Formats: sequence, C-alpha cells, structure tokens
Amino acid sequence: MIKTVKVEEAVGLKLAHDITEIRPGEFKGPAFRQGHSVCEDDLCRLQRLGKNHLYVIDLEEDEIHENEAAAILAQALAGAGIVWENNPREGKIDLYAAHNGLLKVGVPALAAFNLVDEVMCATLHNHMPVKKGEKVAATRAIPLIMKRAAIERAAAIASQNGGVVAVKPLQKARAGLIITGNEVYHGLIQDSFAPILSRKVEALGSEVATVDFLPDDAEAIARTIRRHLSEGCDLLLLSGGMSVDPDDVTRHAIRQAGATEMHYGSAVLPGAMFLVAYLGEVPVLGVPACALHHPVTVLDLVLPRILAGEHIGKLDLALLGHGGLCRDCPECSYPHCPFGKGM
Amino acid sequence: MVKRVKEKTEAQTFEELLAGSVAAHGHLCPGQIVGVRLAILGLRLLGFEAPPTHPQLKHLIVFVEMDRCTGDAVAYVTNAKLGRRSLKFVDYGIMAATLLNLETGRAFRIISTEESRELAALYAPGEPDRRGQQLEAYKVMPDSVMFRVQEVKVNLSPFDMPGPTRRKAACMKCGQVVRDNREVRQNGSVYCRPCASGAYFTGVQEIAWPDMNWSPYANPDPTKLTDSDSPGRRVWPGEIAGKRDD
Repeated sequence: MIKTVKVEEAVGLKLAHDITEIRPGEFKGPAFRQGHSVCEDDLCRLQRLGKNHLYVIDLEEDEIHENEAAAILAQALAGAGIVWENNPREGKIDLYAAHNGLLKVGVPALAAFNLVDEVMCATLHNHMPVKKGEKVAATRAIPLIMKRAAIERAAAIASQNGGVVAVKPLQKARAGLIITGNEVYHGLIQDSFAPILSRKVEALGSEVATVDFLPDDAEAIARTIRRHLSEGCDLLLLSGGMSVDPDDVTRHAIRQAGATEMHYGSAVLPGAMFLVAYLGEVPVLGVPACALHHPVTVLDLVLPRILAGEHIGKLDLALLGHGGLCRDCPECSYPHCPFGKGM
Repeated sequence: MVKRVKEKTEAQTFEELLAGSVAAHGHLCPGQIVGVRLAILGLRLLGFEAPPTHPQLKHLIVFVEMDRCTGDAVAYVTNAKLGRRSLKFVDYGIMAATLLNLETGRAFRIISTEESRELAALYAPGEPDRRGQQLEAYKVMPDSVMFRVQEVKVNLSPFDMPGPTRRKAACMKCGQVVRDNREVRQNGSVYCRPCASGAYFTGVQEIAWPDMNWSPYANPDPTKLTDSDSPGRRVWPGEIAGKRDD
C-alpha cells in the first residue's frame, strides 16, 4: 500500500523510490536514491524538483517493490552469456553481453512478457553481433509497487527456453573456400572473391584453411568439396556459378558431393541467389556474385548465425525477407541499420 | 444386463489425450489443444493424473464456462460428465474452467489468455494462416503464456453434488417432477421453472406421433408390467419428497 505525505513532514522518512532529476542536455539520473533518509537540508532541493508530496510504502504480504521486482525480472530474462548487476536505478536494470557473440532474443517470449501490464523489457535486435560489455537489454517494473503474482508470472514467461536474451559465442571454424568460374580459373580476370570471403570469415574469429580455384566443372567441384571435408574443414564457402546460366553448375556440384539438405534462394537483396546446404553436419554456403559489389549481403546475416551453431533452414531464409532489403546507403552503417533486423 | 464401459484411467501423453479428444469431439481445432492443455494443467495443480484415476475422479468437479470446442476437450481429459454431476456448465462465455477437489476443497480456475491468440503468429512464424498458427503455437507456447490461474473457493450446494437425487418436488401447475432443489416457491406454492418464470421454449402443444408404441424390445407379456413400468412411489403435485436441506 502507498501513502502520501507532505514533503515538509517527510523529515526522517525513507524514500520509497529513486527521485529523478533532469537537467536538459546536462544530466538525467537519480537525485535521491530509494531508502535515502530525508533530512531538513533535502527539503528545498525536493521542492525544486517539483516534489511537494512523497510516497511512504507499507508493503502488503502479496506486494512487491519495483526494485525487488526488477531483480526477479532480470534474473528470468537473462539467458546464457548475459550479465547484470542487482543495483536497480530508478527501478531499471540493464543486461550486458558477457562475451562477444551473437545476440539471441526470444521474440515470442519477449512479446508475451511485455503483454504483462506491470513489466517491460526492451532489447537490441535478434541476431545482432555484440561485443563483451555491450548493453543488450533493459527491464523494469512499471508501477512502484505491485502484486507479486504478476511479477512471478512475468518471470515464468521470461524464463521459458532459458531466458529471453542470450549471447551465443561464435565457434572458430576451419573454412574451405572454393572459387569457381572458368574466367577466373583460366586467368581471364583476377579473382576478388577469395580476399572478400577470407576477410569476412576472419573478422568473425574463424580461419580459412584452404582455398581452391576451379573451372565450371561439377565433377571437379564435387571432388574438391569432398577433399575439403576429408581435410577437416567444418565450413565450406563456394562462390560463382550460383546463377541461372548453363555454366552455373555449383549447385549441381554440391548435390553431387552428397548434400543432405539444400536450400537455394534467400529473401534478401543483395543475396537472392544464396544457397545453404549441409553435407552431414557441415554447412555449405553458396555465395552469389553480389558479394563482390556490395559490402554487406545475405552472407553477413547468415554466417554469424552458422558460427553461433544455428542450423539455417528454408524457413530461416524466408523469414529474412522482412528487413532483408538493403538501402544501399552511400555510407554503410551495418549492423546499425534495419538490414536483416526483421526477425 | 447392463455392461459397464471401462474408461481409460491410466496416465496418457499429451498426444494420446489430444488424439482421444479429437476423436470424441469430431475434429482437430485450436480449441481442442487449449482444452486438453487447460485440463492437464488443472489436474496437475490438483495433484491428479491425466486422465484422473478412479479414486481421483470421485473427488473431481469441473466447471466449464463456455460451450465451445475447449469445453469438450476439458470434459474429455478430466473424464467429467454432466450426467454424473462432475461436469458443470456455467454459461459465462469465458474461455475458462475450474477444477475442484471435493476432498481438499482446493479449486483452480484456469483462464485461457487473449494474449495467447495474439501471440500465435510469433510462436509459429512459418504458418501462413491464423488457424495453422494457432494449431502449432498452442503446442509450443508455455503454460505461463497460455493461461492465467486463480486459486478460488467454490461453495457447492449439497443439491449440486454427485450421488442420488436429494429431493423431488412436483409443480403445482403442471405436475412435472423437479429434482434437486430446482423448484421455485412463490406465495407458498411450488412450481417448475418453466411455469414460474417462463422457459427457453414457447408455443407448447402436446402431440401424438407416428409409431407411438415402438420400443427396443417387445414386451413378452403385455399384461404384466415390468419393473421399469412400475409407477413406484408417486410425488403428488405440491408435495416435496426426500430430505430438505434448505
């Protein structure tokens, strides 16, 4: 239960919540913290902050204060790879990445959580690459005091599948690159794919174990795929031959090599002719030529997820459609842009 | 000789319960899944098996607050039956049901949330239509999202308890026998509800119908009344027979 007292009668009482001060453009934060004992000297400042009355809280047995609630919520929301401190400020707790990796947000659970009236949680987008120490989410209880049952239900919703937010570390893959195309193989043009793909693989902490250049010969490509596997590559990237011309045989080669699963076509531009296949457990990514011209393509959306241990299927590629249209900005700000943020 | 139908009372999986419920109800629909899950949750909160064992069944009363697919699924999984008075229909139009343990007095009212409908698309993003989304989503959505639960007290009148008829009364106007305290008293007289306050039907006209003398079995000796034909103890209009509890 909350009672209201006049500020001039509050000397000796403990504040029920943080009192926020905002000095435009200069400061926003708690001027007084919850639990602070009001003394004579505080009265003028409180009045300057527009406080003529203060709350005194007398909690019923089934009620909970916002700070205790925030800690329960943070605990339930935080999945693997998330750290937080039980030091709520203005009833709010921030959640941080415990290490570099891929942010995973349980979007349905987050929505279900936020449909509980008394609570809120805001996060960065699902599947964003994040750095250790980066703020990825924040939560708070909305009323100053509320029924404990509402918080317990929100916490139960948040803890489904191990929490709403998690940071998955990226595995260090040994990647095999296969650059296909008669024009490159016969030296008619110089390859640009190998350095671009190598840079993207290495930027995510993996290594390129081997690079092969091959003509548009399905049998030869299939043989090389099998050799890469036997040499211990656990990720294969193939470029060239992903389009619809008669010379584009890379897809057939992947099938010939024994692909157990194959999805051609993604709902992303650039990257419509992207391919994801699996040879047993090993992912095989077919990168279309757009990766030569665009700094960011579907590969940048899918590769971190593959390295985070996700199995990318047809539905995942389809769901990329919402937010899958690159705006081709003169200066690319990815990942701080809408590209790939739909799901 | 009446053969007693043996009910399945050993514990069953969600899939088995859903398959049985669908067969009993006639089709698979989102409401079936909601009802099966609601019943499983309610039984779990009471510490009962799904479906309940015979001893548990004797202590279980189920109130359903809607006459929708969900109600049938709740009745199927809990084995509660209208005719045994273990199933009560309360016409609230609310997607909710209450499971009461008569032995302990504990009762849980479980309400299917509106949020679960709104969230179905998020929980089943691969399904193109609403029905498909609900069918898939309700299998993976946790109970905390699907339902809200209230622990409640239910004051069940002795006249609403399972067991033999507690009392009979005959309407002074039409002579109809009324069971279990459902009669209405007005100015010292006893009436059935239709006579006292009108009914869901109108235009009453008693009729004769074709083949009026049909029966499943022919009576071998038409001069001898069978037990079931015996008038037994009659209740006269205005008379109230049996124990009075009020």
